[in-house]
Amino acid sequence: MRQGFRLGIAAETRWDGADGVGAKFTEFAEARGLPAAIRRSMSVALDELLANTIAYGGAARIVVDVALYPDRLSVMLIDDGGPFDPFGQAPPPPPPGTALPLEERKIGGDGIQLVRKMMDDVRYERRSDRNVVVLTKRLKTEEG
Amino acid sequence: MEITTRTERDVTIVALAGHLDSNTSPEAQTALDAVLAGGGRKVVIDFRALDYISSAGLRVLLGTAKQLKQAGGALRLFGLNETVQEVFQISGFATILAVVDTEANALNGL
Repeated sequence: MRQGFRLGIAAETRWDGADGVGAKFTEFAEARGLPAAIRRSMSVALDELLANTIAYGGAARIVVDVALYPDRLSVMLIDDGGPFDPFGQAPPPPPPGTALPLEERKIGGDGIQLVRKMMDDVRYERRSDRNVVVLTKRLKTEEG
Repeated sequence: MEITTRTERDVTIVALAGHLDSNTSPEAQTALDAVLAGGGRKVVIDFRALDYISSAGLRVLLGTAKQLKQAGGALRLFGLNETVQEVFQISGFATILAVVDTEANALNGL
């Protein structure tokens, strides 16, 4: 059985738009009794991808589709910007400057790296003029 | 997000509540900039009520840590939940920022 919601936001609303999604997602996750660790990880991933798309994607509209199944939480982000695979870049090996001391660390994006590591599965596809990203976090089921 | 600031001796303790992400990082930046502008050089950030942090929040922390270091000050963080700790581990912040478990340990010897 699937529970969920779908939300469309205008990319030009910028942070307000993203914040609306974050708040709605948190409300949904808490109402369904989702474990806090799962909810928080997905919130981080959502923030990274929305901020990315809003800042660089050239999209006018982003649709966020949240779906909760017995065994997984899946969030689909669809935007109408130019083709852009956020996971297409080779994973920075190791993430930029991770081992560098404070003075040499760049104030940059560890964002996509966080998403890769915190999600159980990330996918991207270009589907009829839309970028489609699917983030999945597995849930522990009763049967183990 | 809610940000509350208090001082203990010459240490400024900034408590963050809610989430530190792309929406709220400008707010946190403003609050931390104000501490530095006010002459605060020893800063402790209380993460106990912080639900999660994303890379936008990490950038604020890194910027503040760098400024404090240049000014001869220090930054310590305490009370990170499991998710915030995971973000710190993945990004390498766990090794470049001073993270401790309790407020007492954050204040000790600062």
